[in-house]
Amino acid sequence: MKTLVLGLGNTLICDDGVGVYTARACTGRFDGLADVREAELGGVDLIEMLQGYERAIIVDAIQLEGEIPGTVFRIRPDDMQITPRLASVHDIDLVTALELGRRLGFSMPGDVVVYAVQGEDMVTIHEGCRAAVEAVIEPLAREIEGLVKGETKERISIPLAGRKRNA
Amino acid sequence: MKRVSIDPITRLEGHGKITLFLDDEGNVENAYLQIPELRGFEKFVEGLPIEEVSRIVSRICGVCPAAHHMASGKAVDAVYNVKPPASAVKLRELYYMAHFIHSHAAHFYALAAPDFVVGPDAPPEKRNILGLIEKVGLEIGSEVIRQRAISQEIQIIVGGRSTHPVWNVPGGVSKFLSKEDREKIKPMADDQVKFGEFGLKLFEDVVLKNRDYLDIVVGDGYELVTNYMGLVDENNRVNFYDGKVRVVDTEGRELFKYSETEYLEYIAEHVEPYSYLKYPYLKQYGWDGFKEGPGTSIYQVAPLARLNAADGMATPKAQAEYEKMFETLGGKPVHKLLAHHWARLIEVLYSAERLVELVNDDEILDPNVRVLPSTTPKEGISIIEAPRGTLTHHYWTDENGIITKANLVVGTTNNNAPISMAVKKAAQKFINKEGGIGQGLLNMVEMAFRLFDPCLSCATHSLPGQMPLAVEVKSSDGETLHKLSR
Repeated sequence: MKTLVLGLGNTLICDDGVGVYTARACTGRFDGLADVREAELGGVDLIEMLQGYERAIIVDAIQLEGEIPGTVFRIRPDDMQITPRLASVHDIDLVTALELGRRLGFSMPGDVVVYAVQGEDMVTIHEGCRAAVEAVIEPLAREIEGLVKGETKERISIPLAGRKRNA
Repeated sequence: MKRVSIDPITRLEGHGKITLFLDDEGNVENAYLQIPELRGFEKFVEGLPIEEVSRIVSRICGVCPAAHHMASGKAVDAVYNVKPPASAVKLRELYYMAHFIHSHAAHFYALAAPDFVVGPDAPPEKRNILGLIEKVGLEIGSEVIRQRAISQEIQIIVGGRSTHPVWNVPGGVSKFLSKEDREKIKPMADDQVKFGEFGLKLFEDVVLKNRDYLDIVVGDGYELVTNYMGLVDENNRVNFYDGKVRVVDTEGRELFKYSETEYLEYIAEHVEPYSYLKYPYLKQYGWDGFKEGPGTSIYQVAPLARLNAADGMATPKAQAEYEKMFETLGGKPVHKLLAHHWARLIEVLYSAERLVELVNDDEILDPNVRVLPSTTPKEGISIIEAPRGTLTHHYWTDENGIITKANLVVGTTNNNAPISMAVKKAAQKFINKEGGIGQGLLNMVEMAFRLFDPCLSCATHSLPGQMPLAVEVKSSDGETLHKLSR
């Protein structure tokens, strides 16, 4: 299955960059089974990035109220109320981008999973993540490696769908 | 007193909140837009070599990297007191016109048009670009994607890359335009002009010819009487890259015109305890609260403000559309806020026409695209028009060119007070005890926010997606009476 591992985020805004750092940590792990890209984009531009792939594994930061920094949520488009770079005030969200791409005849991935890492600080201009978020980059890269290779490895992510809101 | 909160509920829960306070009668008494500031960008660049800064500021976010790159490039020239060659200036403007088309198109087709085409009270799942193409045809969606790809491609050809450019260097640009590349761009620029015309035709067919929608545009729910600010050329026509800042009053009379080095003499900033984002105002009037009407110190920026502040457009087709808009809406200045969308489309056409002019100007082929700085760096200021409004970059350095201080005043910050006021007016108009609070009404309030195309990534931090709203109606003792979200 033609797979793209896509890290999204802004490496200048502290934990916002965790998706990009995770993508970098994934580089070289897939033995040609997946492409790895990083981007500071969202919305319509994602159509172009995702087209032609059968599967997309996207990593980004998220900030949900009351969650512990470093928690990794696994999200499917169906239960996605939109995450990070996948949306901005100025553009459309991932679900809309996928659907728009499909309707316009682009070949969009049928299998999409988003790993959204709970950030601690997404407002301070700072290169690198806070410790709690930094700590999950390597284990998350291993989980993604397992997913791409079809091997069972330890999961650190939890499904967002089952999340209990603390807020 | 009851409280209604409109919260973005995704990426940054609890951030960027609109709070509406209801009186005991259930009518909107007040509205506040609360946004946290993205901390420390100006701090972050301190200690960096000045020649690095244009590459860094473009990465504040992915929405308008080219605007920050251009503003920064110009400010760095000023720091070195160097004037780039005409070829470099024209290439920068060419690149920037393509960026404007790319940015404005995303806003209009993905975010604004669905309100009109699908209808402001359509269910949220329909009120997006998917609903738009369902109603007006797939080909519109394809055309928007295709044209955005063209404007991206032009930026790549001219500047090496589209997002996060690294092409501006002190005294000019790092790459000249070859004859072959120019020939590639020519037909693309012509195509973009057609796209500009297409947008205005769509606006005419869908909005202007639909009495209900036109009534919304000219109704008093979306009206705000303020001063207007925009960059103009020597003939007082709209310019995005260079010129002087012109401010007109609520009657359209010129209040003053200033160059970038004078901005602090005309603009001051007010602070409110509930928001981290400051409220700029016209210094000569002093801060007099969130008041509209003659004598107000509040001013607007962005498309409608630019057109109001200028005497016209510098290209023929855009000029004709400019005249048509003001004629249709009863003359200048126009205070009808939804006309920002119309003005935005006129600006797309202007950008495309300007693209054609620039790419056909032989001077852009001059390989001399840089003047090497030879003076000791000190301080520099630039002002350009970003898609979201007047953008100022101001840097100070030591004698080695290391940044000691920076000040950035971005488009959305300039519009901070008008956005708050527009939201309040729309809320007061559309939300009341009799009507209750429903999705359609909330969207009418959201439209007042959206028309400014606010980007809080650099003004503050990004708000999420299509601004999904969570609305809580609370009684004065904090009890939740009603909850809505989407």
